[in-house]
Amino acid sequence: MKALYYLQMSIKNEILKLKNTFAFWLSIISALFIPAIFFLYYFLKYKSLIPASGVNPWEKFMVDQIMSAAPFLIPFFIILITSLIVQVEHKSSAMKYLFSLPVPKWSIYFGKLLVSIGLILFTYILFFLAMLMVGGIVGLIHEELNFLSYFPNYQKPLQLLFRSFIAVLGILGLQFLLSFRIKNFIVPLGIGMVLVITGLIVYKAKESLYFPYTYNMLSLLPIRNEETSIVLWFPKVSILSVFYFLIFSILGFLSIKRMNIK
Amino acid sequence: MNEYIIETQDLNFSYSKLTHDIENLNLQVPRGSIYGFLGPNGSGKTTTIRLLLGLLKKKSGTVTLFGNSLKNNRLTSLSKIAALIENPSLYNHLSGFDNLKIAARYRKVNQSRIEEVLEIVNLTYAKFKKVKKYSLGMKQRLGLAISLLSEPEILILDEPTNGLDPKGIIEMRSLIKSLNKEFGTTIFISSHLLSEIEKTCSHVGIIREGKMLFQNTVDALRESQNENMIIEVETSNSELLNRIISSFFDNTKIIDDSFINVTLNSKEEIPVLIDTIRKEEIAIYQVTIKNNLEELFLSLTEQ
Repeated sequence: MKALYYLQMSIKNEILKLKNTFAFWLSIISALFIPAIFFLYYFLKYKSLIPASGVNPWEKFMVDQIMSAAPFLIPFFIILITSLIVQVEHKSSAMKYLFSLPVPKWSIYFGKLLVSIGLILFTYILFFLAMLMVGGIVGLIHEELNFLSYFPNYQKPLQLLFRSFIAVLGILGLQFLLSFRIKNFIVPLGIGMVLVITGLIVYKAKESLYFPYTYNMLSLLPIRNEETSIVLWFPKVSILSVFYFLIFSILGFLSIKRMNIK
Repeated sequence: MNEYIIETQDLNFSYSKLTHDIENLNLQVPRGSIYGFLGPNGSGKTTTIRLLLGLLKKKSGTVTLFGNSLKNNRLTSLSKIAALIENPSLYNHLSGFDNLKIAARYRKVNQSRIEEVLEIVNLTYAKFKKVKKYSLGMKQRLGLAISLLSEPEILILDEPTNGLDPKGIIEMRSLIKSLNKEFGTTIFISSHLLSEIEKTCSHVGIIREGKMLFQNTVDALRESQNENMIIEVETSNSELLNRIISSFFDNTKIIDDSFINVTLNSKEEIPVLIDTIRKEEIAIYQVTIKNNLEELFLSLTEQ
């Protein structure tokens, strides 16, 4: 029960620390970025986008947006947001303060980690809502796009978003650990970028199933047979991603527990 | 109960394999004292503080706080300590109030205490301002307010007067003294300035290159020097003055054209010295007692 108390307190504090930060605004901007572009696209080029009669336009509209965000934007967002959230502590030279408080070290590490996950989940939800809203608005402006004639068939987009969210947890665990250990903001950011680009190059190889930086792509693109079934909420990459997340989180905590705080 | 609230035994630590940053340090801070931890820059003061708080992993030796080893009682011990290490850890993007709110939550302190500590450090007027817009002195005071939230039994202050203006320094000094007097808070202050320690502290430890050179009460430090006192005299012509007084006082030293140092055996000789000079109608512009402690500190810390 005491553990729960510490965790709750740590989470409350981490949420308060997000106030006025760039990390918080970035999570909102990132969620609205692709929907904003698609708004312009559908608003200006609607003539070529009018669906065949009897087709619900929502699924294509949303899946296209998720797919545009998938290869680069989502992993890059994860890397940037984790660095930013942890950077708040480095910038305030608060590590020495946090670790000389009468609270267990794990509550600080996992409190922050959970709030990072929460912020990322918030971005995913906001992204989903923004897509619905943009669809509604362009539907109002150009009735022939048929957005208002159909109820959004949101199941597939929602499923893709959920799979993407689970798939990024693996890299989140590693990036969080790197950001926590390394004071210089650029280092974890640089490492993450290089690994994401590597992921983009190698994701078609069979072995990429063990490289977490490809998981976001793999969770969305049905490349191999086992992945093609779109009804799966938890494909193999999701399980591996959760596995990596747990490993990196535990390693991260063990490493900061022994860390000399200079 | 142990009379030392902070004690280390043969504490050793090094940042790398080649160095000995802290060597066999035996620190003894009596309960209820104001302990000045004195040493030149880079002598290991902050490193020692970090070891006391368990921020660094010691190589060997023991750290005892409140009579218990730090390792086994980390959370209990830390709940009774507040520390301000180097520049205070403040979230610049938040207001002073929010910074205090975070600290109060971590330390399980009632939110109503926030107003009290703001009052103590005179920051109530700026509590909703972002810390980014605070001056250095205000930041230092906010850091102190955070330390005071939990009414700690030990308050560790690392160079607390750094960056404060003269008024702030005086306020800080009187605050330290009143905390010690009214609440019996043991205060551990590190500083590289002897004058600072001399004015506030009851006990002193002098450290150089990670080794403790001297540890006792400030009074004992004063007594440990020889009885002689050095008087510095500013005059119009130090050569001339030297010739005249060297027959009366055997230990004189010309500093430059206008300054001369005379070593006396007691305070009573000061008027005698002045009378002697005035009889010869040599002008005196200034007579000062040289701070012997400063000399002692230099001689202890310089090789």
